[in-house]
Amino acid sequence: MIPPSPPPEARRDLWRQWFGTPVTALVSLISAAVALYVTWALLDWMVISALSPTQPMEDCAGSSGACWRFYLEKSRFMLFGTYPYAEHWRPALVSLLLLALSALVGLRITGRLRWLRPRMLVVLWVGVIPLAFVLMGGGAAGLAAIDMSRWNGMPVLLILSVIAIALAFPLGVALAVLRHQTRWPVLRRAAIVYIEGMRGFPMVTVLFVGVFVLPLTLPPDTRISPVMATLIALVFFHASYFAEDVRGGLQSLPDSQHEAAFSLGLSWGKTMRLVLLPQALSRSLPALVNSVIGAYKDTSLVVVLGIHDLTSTARMAFSEPGWGQFALEAYAFVGVWFLLSCAFLSWVGRELHRKQSRKSH
Amino acid sequence: MQHAPPPARRSAPDWVGLAVVAAILLSLTILGGNIWLNMQAAGVTPGYGFLTQTAGFDLSESLIRYDAGDSYGRVILAGLLNTVFLGICGLVLATGLGVLMGLVSVSPSPAGRMIGLLYVELFRNLPKILVLLVLYVVAVRGLPPVREAFSIGPLHLTNRSIYLPVIETDVRQAWLLVPLAVAVALSLLWLRRARRIKRDKGKDIEVLPVILALIISFPLIFGLLVDTPLMTSVPEFQRFDFEGGARLSVQFLVVLGTLGLYHGAQIAEVVRGGILAVPQGQIEAARALGLSPRHVTRFVILPQVLRIVIPPMINQYVNLIKNTSIAIAVGYSDLMSVSGTIINQTFRPLEMMLITMGLYLGLCLVASSLMNRLNDRLRARSAGGAR
Repeated sequence: MIPPSPPPEARRDLWRQWFGTPVTALVSLISAAVALYVTWALLDWMVISALSPTQPMEDCAGSSGACWRFYLEKSRFMLFGTYPYAEHWRPALVSLLLLALSALVGLRITGRLRWLRPRMLVVLWVGVIPLAFVLMGGGAAGLAAIDMSRWNGMPVLLILSVIAIALAFPLGVALAVLRHQTRWPVLRRAAIVYIEGMRGFPMVTVLFVGVFVLPLTLPPDTRISPVMATLIALVFFHASYFAEDVRGGLQSLPDSQHEAAFSLGLSWGKTMRLVLLPQALSRSLPALVNSVIGAYKDTSLVVVLGIHDLTSTARMAFSEPGWGQFALEAYAFVGVWFLLSCAFLSWVGRELHRKQSRKSH
Repeated sequence: MQHAPPPARRSAPDWVGLAVVAAILLSLTILGGNIWLNMQAAGVTPGYGFLTQTAGFDLSESLIRYDAGDSYGRVILAGLLNTVFLGICGLVLATGLGVLMGLVSVSPSPAGRMIGLLYVELFRNLPKILVLLVLYVVAVRGLPPVREAFSIGPLHLTNRSIYLPVIETDVRQAWLLVPLAVAVALSLLWLRRARRIKRDKGKDIEVLPVILALIISFPLIFGLLVDTPLMTSVPEFQRFDFEGGARLSVQFLVVLGTLGLYHGAQIAEVVRGGILAVPQGQIEAARALGLSPRHVTRFVILPQVLRIVIPPMINQYVNLIKNTSIAIAVGYSDLMSVSGTIINQTFRPLEMMLITMGLYLGLCLVASSLMNRLNDRLRARSAGGAR
């Protein structure tokens, strides 16, 4: 059979696309003007009016462009803050470990790195999380003890996002299962109240509870550092969002799955663990990735509690007297970091969508 | 033939669940006991009596009359009103921006689509707090100090506030309500007439322009006839600052801008998805039936888009209301930052957080139930139209 020939090349299509109707023409003109202006402003700031890193810091005073020397001087401060300078390898290692592990999980769920069994990933997580705290805090294995108030910058951002998400995930799955099942109606109610309540509060209020109320609930004369308190609050907060995503996956499964497993004689626990959850989790992955992106971005809200994550150390970098004019440089650093890391997460999300739409066709 | 399943036997009470819930309650009680002990140790008795005490701190701005001598209860009310005001302004801005950018990103123009895509991707991949801090720095550094205010007519822009003229309300202007009421009554009559004609003859008559004309012209003509004084208060520069008019702080504008940009991007995605979800065949079929482009939009595209778009939109609005709490990062006196200040002053985190979270929860519930009701009515109406 002769394959259908492709349609003929459309003529004057470009003109029609840009200026087909008056409204289209207007949109095109305005958008093109905006795009040109933004490109020019960026180019001017980054290259034309900018000062190269070889020029001394004094030249930057009063310049309208970027001061690239600023990054030479302040990058390490923005990354690790007031952590003792000689020990910077420790937060660097923690950051790399957490980033590498997150990247592995991201690649694995898009269907790459097949040799990596989920069980191995779980073991890795269980190992890396305490390791991160030991490396950062020291006081063991010959490492000098560093107080949590000096944990700053990138490692704090990653601990409060990656570790909080990793710990919130199992809790979220458990909540989703509790809300989905009908065997223990009281637990089901409790899960509903918890999930819906948590989702009704702004994240800032939950963080405030973590930092101000949680220390009060401890027995007198025990202390908890704000970073740990925030971490705990974040785990409980994110879990409610993950629970809703996973529940979406559980609800999308046909009843026959449950019935078939039941008639094979599988117990309730085995039905959940071997039949329902694996399918539900893989169905809810795109929604979960969306929630993870949101949770990761919102981590920087801890700034309002005086915890020094990356955004906060960037602010500190230009808050010293004499450095005030470099605010845009400092925030650009944080912005580029978030754009890059979120681009990876969005890519994972798109890959999952593609895989799922392929499966359903 | 199928038999109905036998009636379920009354199952035993859920002992496991009850036990777990009891354990949770017990541990919460223990934690509560610790709170009591800790507060006693700090010399504070838990309770809400402090709400009537004098707050003693000033707010950057307030919609109700407030000064530092007022009680904590009144500060919280002022903060709540600021949050509601910010939320409403944010909803309008985000919706406007979102719908505009959503339409631009499905327009045939490649440049428009590119701008739409860039906008959405940029603000979906940046934390809102970073956007807020950047806007704040730019506004404080970029705008002139109060002595060299940047003025557009009676509007004055400075790096602390924006000053605008307002209409001063006066008892004598209450007369304007009479023609307004008449106009509303006439509009309702016109609406009923339009419905009747539509039902009996199937003809459409203009409704919106007539109502708008009525509501604008009646009070205007009346006001001119009896010469009601319409006093405005215009900001003017006095020795140190502008006096008169209304003042919006730069903090408010920055938070508003952040909420608008951030949620605008999310709403743009929702709108884009909604429009793309209408199958092309629907539009072609409507055109083939001879509907004009306006009618295609009005009767074929819009109802379907609304149906898809409204539920995620409600979600966005509730999120926006919750996200107004980021205002604390720049010090706009919203509910969250007011309660943060009170916590620092009184050492009553538990009471204050219970109040604050309860108020936020209430706000979100009110907003979502209002919008869900609107959604139900819209659905009922479009379903009725299809019959």
